[in-house]
Amino acid sequence: METVKLQVFRYDPEKDSSPYYKEYEVPVEGTLLNALLYIKDNIDPTLSFRAFCRSEVCGSCSMRVNGKVKLACKTSMKELVETWKGKPLRIDPLKHMNVIKDLVVDIDKPIEKMKTLIPWLVPDPRVVPTDPMHESIIYPEEMKAYKDQINCMLCFSCYSACEAVEDNSRYRGPFAFSRAYRFQVDRRDIETAKERRIRYSISGGLWSCVQCQKCLYVCPKGVKPAEDIQNLRGQAIKKGFTDKPGAKKLKHYVDWIYATGQINRLYLPEEVYGNKEAKDKLTKAFQEMGVEVWEVPKPTKGLMKFRDIYLEILSKEDKALDLDFSHVRKIDKMVSDIFKADICTIVDRVHEREDKAKGLIGKLKGLIGGK
Amino acid sequence: MLDYDIVIVGGGGAGLYAALWAAENTILKVAVMTKVYPTRSHTGAAEGGINAVLTHSVGDSPEAHAYDTVKGSDFLADQDAVDIMCKMGAAVIYDIAHRGVPFSRRPDGRIAQRPFGGASFPRTCYAADKTGFYILQTLYEQCLKNNVTFLNEWFLLSIIHNGERVEGITAWDIRNGGVHLIKTKAVILATGGHARVYWNRTSNALGNTGDGTAAALRAGLPLKDMEFIQFHPTGLAKTGILVTEGARGEGGYLRNKDGERFMKRYAPEKMELAPRDIVARAIQTEIDEGRGCGPNGDYICLDLTHLGEERIKERLPQTREHAILYEGVDPVKEPIPIAPTAHYSMGGIDTDKLGRTPIKGLYAAGECACISVHGANRLGGNSLLDILVYGRLTALEAVKYADDAPETNPSVAKLKDDEKRILELMEASGKEKVPQLRRELGETMMKHFGVFREESSMKEGLEKLYGIKERAKEVKVYDTSKKFNTDLISTLEFLNLVDLAPAIAIPAIERRESRGSHARKDYPKRDDKNFLKHSVVNLEEDGSYKLSWKPVVITKFPPEERKY
Repeated sequence: METVKLQVFRYDPEKDSSPYYKEYEVPVEGTLLNALLYIKDNIDPTLSFRAFCRSEVCGSCSMRVNGKVKLACKTSMKELVETWKGKPLRIDPLKHMNVIKDLVVDIDKPIEKMKTLIPWLVPDPRVVPTDPMHESIIYPEEMKAYKDQINCMLCFSCYSACEAVEDNSRYRGPFAFSRAYRFQVDRRDIETAKERRIRYSISGGLWSCVQCQKCLYVCPKGVKPAEDIQNLRGQAIKKGFTDKPGAKKLKHYVDWIYATGQINRLYLPEEVYGNKEAKDKLTKAFQEMGVEVWEVPKPTKGLMKFRDIYLEILSKEDKALDLDFSHVRKIDKMVSDIFKADICTIVDRVHEREDKAKGLIGKLKGLIGGK
Repeated sequence: MLDYDIVIVGGGGAGLYAALWAAENTILKVAVMTKVYPTRSHTGAAEGGINAVLTHSVGDSPEAHAYDTVKGSDFLADQDAVDIMCKMGAAVIYDIAHRGVPFSRRPDGRIAQRPFGGASFPRTCYAADKTGFYILQTLYEQCLKNNVTFLNEWFLLSIIHNGERVEGITAWDIRNGGVHLIKTKAVILATGGHARVYWNRTSNALGNTGDGTAAALRAGLPLKDMEFIQFHPTGLAKTGILVTEGARGEGGYLRNKDGERFMKRYAPEKMELAPRDIVARAIQTEIDEGRGCGPNGDYICLDLTHLGEERIKERLPQTREHAILYEGVDPVKEPIPIAPTAHYSMGGIDTDKLGRTPIKGLYAAGECACISVHGANRLGGNSLLDILVYGRLTALEAVKYADDAPETNPSVAKLKDDEKRILELMEASGKEKVPQLRRELGETMMKHFGVFREESSMKEGLEKLYGIKERAKEVKVYDTSKKFNTDLISTLEFLNLVDLAPAIAIPAIERRESRGSHARKDYPKRDDKNFLKHSVVNLEEDGSYKLSWKPVVITKFPPEERKY
């Protein structure tokens, strides 16, 4: 029978001064959970791990294999051996939670954190009847909005893999945001609850997520926390929660890219962090480096067409309202002042001037540009 | 000493729904104690759906549902209880839908229903093929919302009562170690089933070990209809893990090695959608008579290929995932190998139609209880209904009782006993090993008390069970640590199964007829004259099991031949 060595993390805080690894030889068949049960039945009954349903619905048996988060009952031993070419497999408990014993971690803390995000339905009495014999109508299409989020089984795989949790212990965790977001897109949930969820999400680190997307890859159930976090951020801005640096950064990106086709590196520190001196310091620094620097970015060619496309994309994502047109108009005015022309014609005029100056090359460029 | 007014043991569908209704209807101190985290509970594995007659079910009625349930039970269910359950169907469905359960919907926005085995009308509400999972998650969310007190990862040891009313329980705190005495006026047992007694071939989770049922038995409470264990017709061939009945509800075919849809010989009208016991026996017969598939002829094929990729992916995503992982078969392209697997315990703690036991303040709900709404055979989709209806009813009963009940004063004797028992387990000789004995227990149950049963074989089996029970006194817990000692827990679970096994075997031998899931080769016919009655098993002081009988409540539906 083909076998492989498992190096399993062992730690009993009452007996062991520090954790250690114990090696067990197990058959290469079935799932990783089968292998652990094999150890418990045949080699070492003192090994502790959580397991229950055996069929990937209960979320008990998540752990790490050579650093990668896996659900033991969903992980084929054969595939593991093939992936790691027969090398020993190191089995560790999940990260970011205290070890109770061996592979068992304390999941109370992430659950407590999740609770602060109101991850339950707060029914809107205008949609959900209070009469228990009256059905509330929900169309199949509207359920698509939360079809993935409802599959979270609290296995804490994403919590273990999350970089934001690593940096910020107050960060609520990817799954918590997904479970909260599920109700943000449910018509039955009352508006006031949705607003509170946003408020608590922001204080729970909504803008701390670095969008590393690890949660999205480790989730055994296809939940996409990173996307839900982005959508929650969008909702936060739409609801006027724009005082956080993350929200301001997003606003800066959306507005400046629409207005000029790129972000403004001189204005970013002031608009995001309120740092009024940064602009002058940066200008000076750029000049010393010999880098050409404009107070506003030089408008790109075909900007008006770009704006149409950009707006179309935003509309499709239902984010067109994120654009702050009064801000855009201000930027337009700055551009007109600096480049001495009306914004609708300025782009082409600036480039025309350049083209003339650059002679032949400019003409060629114009040809390629499709003029 | 922990002190509550109501302790709910078990955090599955019945326990959480009970907690929710208790929390919303009283200011009493309520706690849910569970040996796992609530969302791990096996309710989460229920796939197919939940039966109920809804307001838009034109042509259907709670009476029709009750009739189907009674007929499905082979007339052993108590009809007054069935009546209560079926009438409450719509109310619990709308209630949990209003709390957020994402039921699948018809194009007009109403809750969708599909046909299920043994039902005369498509009345099974579902949420894709993860109905139980979504119900469990939603109930958990709602419990968090209502600030329900949880004792997560606590293991029930003993029930304390004074012969008249319940006084408390003892439990092991898994996380920190240590036996605790919990004082309470009322206890709702919602600890789930015990089909793990068929250790090697069951659809159940590792922990469905009848802990509440065994504790009740040891506390002198009667267990009812324990001989009835449902074998689900479609367990994955290698592991026994479940393939939902929804797979047949969606139109899946069962085929033997000749590709024949053999159900036409067993239930020509209902075919694959005949009740579970009939389908399980048909499959077992095909296998026993040499028409099984595969090199050993030990399984049957569940063919979904004609449903098409899109429908399988949309309606049966989990089934597909499991088939690929555990059998290496993609149901879109190939049929799934399946065989019967021990699935559900119809029997359990004897209660009346409101979930009350003979001890005041002690209730049982869900699979650990035998009310009985399932009689000799449960219909698919009725267990989720059962846990919700009876979770809610027992909660309301417990609230009513605990409101007026005087304080209790449980003695510490049980606490000392349990502490001693655990210490003894850790200091035992270890001559016998739990994994070995557990395998033997499972083999004995499957061989002698499986899909088909026979007197001489069962008597032989019972002797083996007594033998295992005797040898189980020599098992040892090797892990001496206090924190998260899973060696201790799995040993206690095993000992619970050992206590329950004879309570299944004895009435199985004495019920000399075939009824529902209890199929005897030597008595192939139902015998209403002698056996239209519930079996009741008690554990005597001397450790022997005493069998008695109890009448069935028949109101509207006189027994008739059960044909599909």
